[in-house]
Amino acid sequence: MMKGDFEVVHGAINLVQPSETWDYTPAGFPVPHHISNPPTSPTARPVLDGHCTNTDLSDLIMEQVASPFSEASPSTTNGFPMDTSALPTDNITTSPDEYRSRKAPRRVYERTVCGSGESRSSSKSLAERDHEHGLNMITLLLECAVAISTENLPQANRMLLELTQMASPYSASCAERVVAYFTKAMASRVMNSWLGFCSPLVPHKSILSAFQAFNNISPFIKFAHFTANQAILEALHQKERVHIIDLDIMQGLQWPALFHILATRADGPPHVRMTGLGTSMAMLEETGRQLSNFARRLGMSFEFHPIAKRAGDVDPSMVPSQRGEAVAVHWLQHALYDATGPDRNTMRLLELLAPRVITLVEQEMAHTGSFLDRFVESLHYYSAVFDSLGMSLPFDNPGRHRVEHGLLSREINNILAIGGPARSGEEKFVSWRMELACRGFVQMPMSGNSMAQAQLILNMFPPSLGYTIFQGDGTLRLGWKETRLYTASAWTTRPTR
Amino acid sequence: MSTSRQSEPDDPSANEKWAASLLLDCAKAISEKDSSKIHQLLWMLNELASPYGDCDQKLASYFLQALFCKATESGERCYKTLVSVAEKSHSFESARKVILKFQEVSPWTTFGHVASNGAILEALEGEAKLHIIDISNTYCTQWPTLLEALATRSDETPHLRLTVVVTVSMGGSVMKEIGQRMEKFARLMGVPFELQVVRVASQLGELKEEDLGLREDEAVAVNCIGALRRVGVEERGDFIRMLCNLRPRVVTVVEEEADFTSTRSEYVKCFEECLRFYTVFFEMLEESFAPTSNERLMLERECSRSILSVLACDEDGGGECDRREKGSQWCARLMEAFSPMSFSDDAIDDVRALLKRYRSGWSLLPAQGDDSGLYLTWKDEPVVWASAWKP
Repeated sequence: MMKGDFEVVHGAINLVQPSETWDYTPAGFPVPHHISNPPTSPTARPVLDGHCTNTDLSDLIMEQVASPFSEASPSTTNGFPMDTSALPTDNITTSPDEYRSRKAPRRVYERTVCGSGESRSSSKSLAERDHEHGLNMITLLLECAVAISTENLPQANRMLLELTQMASPYSASCAERVVAYFTKAMASRVMNSWLGFCSPLVPHKSILSAFQAFNNISPFIKFAHFTANQAILEALHQKERVHIIDLDIMQGLQWPALFHILATRADGPPHVRMTGLGTSMAMLEETGRQLSNFARRLGMSFEFHPIAKRAGDVDPSMVPSQRGEAVAVHWLQHALYDATGPDRNTMRLLELLAPRVITLVEQEMAHTGSFLDRFVESLHYYSAVFDSLGMSLPFDNPGRHRVEHGLLSREINNILAIGGPARSGEEKFVSWRMELACRGFVQMPMSGNSMAQAQLILNMFPPSLGYTIFQGDGTLRLGWKETRLYTASAWTTRPTR
Repeated sequence: MSTSRQSEPDDPSANEKWAASLLLDCAKAISEKDSSKIHQLLWMLNELASPYGDCDQKLASYFLQALFCKATESGERCYKTLVSVAEKSHSFESARKVILKFQEVSPWTTFGHVASNGAILEALEGEAKLHIIDISNTYCTQWPTLLEALATRSDETPHLRLTVVVTVSMGGSVMKEIGQRMEKFARLMGVPFELQVVRVASQLGELKEEDLGLREDEAVAVNCIGALRRVGVEERGDFIRMLCNLRPRVVTVVEEEADFTSTRSEYVKCFEECLRFYTVFFEMLEESFAPTSNERLMLERECSRSILSVLACDEDGGGECDRREKGSQWCARLMEAFSPMSFSDDAIDDVRALLKRYRSGWSLLPAQGDDSGLYLTWKDEPVVWASAWKP
């Protein structure tokens, strides 16, 4: 049939209803943002040239996004007729065509307080034209999202055709780059809705190399690694035998730093057993080799066990605990692929493991829920991430493009795909912190040392003015300006008896 | 990129040239109407494609769009939308930026210009009143050099009338600014100059002699750059005859070397040729431009419209024709009404000098056998054909 050695991932091609069946109730978990005042209308602001020019357009995104969507059925825009015959309807598995009341986005966003627009615009008319262009793009993007959420695929398709011609991922404007990738993700989504397939193809090699590149130009991953390592270190204090389980180890970038500290402990290094979960056995074995070599050079006793399964697919017998071992479990959440599988099972595994510490780093964005919720949150989220990259690197920097295209775009694609990153119909938790709390795990507040680690990392990155650390609820959050992006927390098993 | 014999099941993109493989399989499935295979392949392509990635990902993305439209019979609608959107966002500045950058990094268009100008200057030598009828897609970037040559070469600078024939998709919307610049430049060069713009409403094939306003005492040259392929296939003979009736001293024809015409009733063959040509073009673009070039992106998007038009639209679908033919095919057509004119040694020297200004990989190849003309080659593959004809 097909040339090449590839086959369908995970065996089955699931025909999945494109309708959003994953409703959720708003979490009792405190909502970080609240809108109290309605947004004021945007004023025309001059466009910066050269370096990132997004401040004004990002504001526009936030303003557009903050105002509740008023209509679910989009009116005709730009003179395009409401043509419903573009796609053969018998091939689209549709939900009932009636209007469904949308849920307001779970998080509504305050208007970003921003004012740092230095006006170096060349001519007013050019700036105004750019501004208008930006507004048109964003309006169209939002209307397209609404069309998709109501499964008006022909309409969405038409708007996407227009959007693809309007936005460039190489633009000096971060907002335009964001629009380009969101457009691409929605186009992919529309095709998947039509095809009815859902399972993703995951090119692991290119993802890993993009992940590493991201780690090099941005502090977010290091923040996750170092704050978690600190919490793990504190929890494993004076333990002789430790078992560290990384639920999605990838290339194990996190661990050398921890090993180094463990190896140079005053009372000598512990015996370290590490279990790494991942999707590709070949890659896991390579990671294991690297870590073993490193541990050996440090003179630390080390064992590595690879498990090429998602955490939720793991049989607990595959992760046996040994007596006298202190167990640490770590997980960094991302949207590159589904790392955990059925979340309930993952939670059950955690309960059985009864770890001394669970370090969790979550992305502050909805991975699950209705399409519109995911759209709105991820637009806010990635606008901030793109902004942060825009401050570090010029718009024509190929490394920046590789990260945006190879990593962030992939995540955006997955978030907007049918059912979100998992694309499987399996139930996914809205908030891991909330689930852990409900299951009787006890939160251990991130210590001052963890905070110090976070601060140290930020100091490595020149435009540290933009990155912000929030501390509260026992968690540590790293964000860009007002937007919180990653939240690190630590948990322990409630002692029984 | 390493070619792994045993690629991971999850990573089909680890195979080199995965895009061509998947795309061709999908084209075959469509022509065989194998619905489940079509779905499977479209799904894979959708997962792997990206208009902002490497060459394979880009080709996958644009050809996927054509395949999808073909499978859903939405080609015409899609094409019309794309063209109208491109028109809206089209501005003189953007078009100018794109073509000037393209000419800076690649001889793709300048090759034809230099060859044609050489033939035109030679054929019109000694004439006092020149009329050049320009039917091209390069926004008059050809003419400044010619004007310069006219100003500096002849003892008495001839009077030049330039008639630019445009259709909607061939830059019709930006002619006003272009015209103004041309007039200004001619004044600077001290060349007596007149410009007229002839707009053809829909199909280029509808252009008539009367539209051009020929005058008795002028020496006519017709310059067709990427023009003949926009004439409906069945009308090409008539169009060429019409050109002959203009009694030109010379007709210069430049076309890209691809055949989407002879195979137009065999979908898979046409698809293969289309994929072959655009693979070369995209690879050339990737090597010529910076990785994050917006200009290259604009050119790629223009290609995507052509790809859509060839692979997802019917002949009489109302879209403008864009069916390329190879040099040898054009030769056969043109020989019916014209005789070939060879390029002078000077003209060929000029072309060689031009190619030296660009990155290596470019070369010249004279046409072989019965065919006439000159090919521009990239990595030894003929990509653009330039020729000159006289009645």
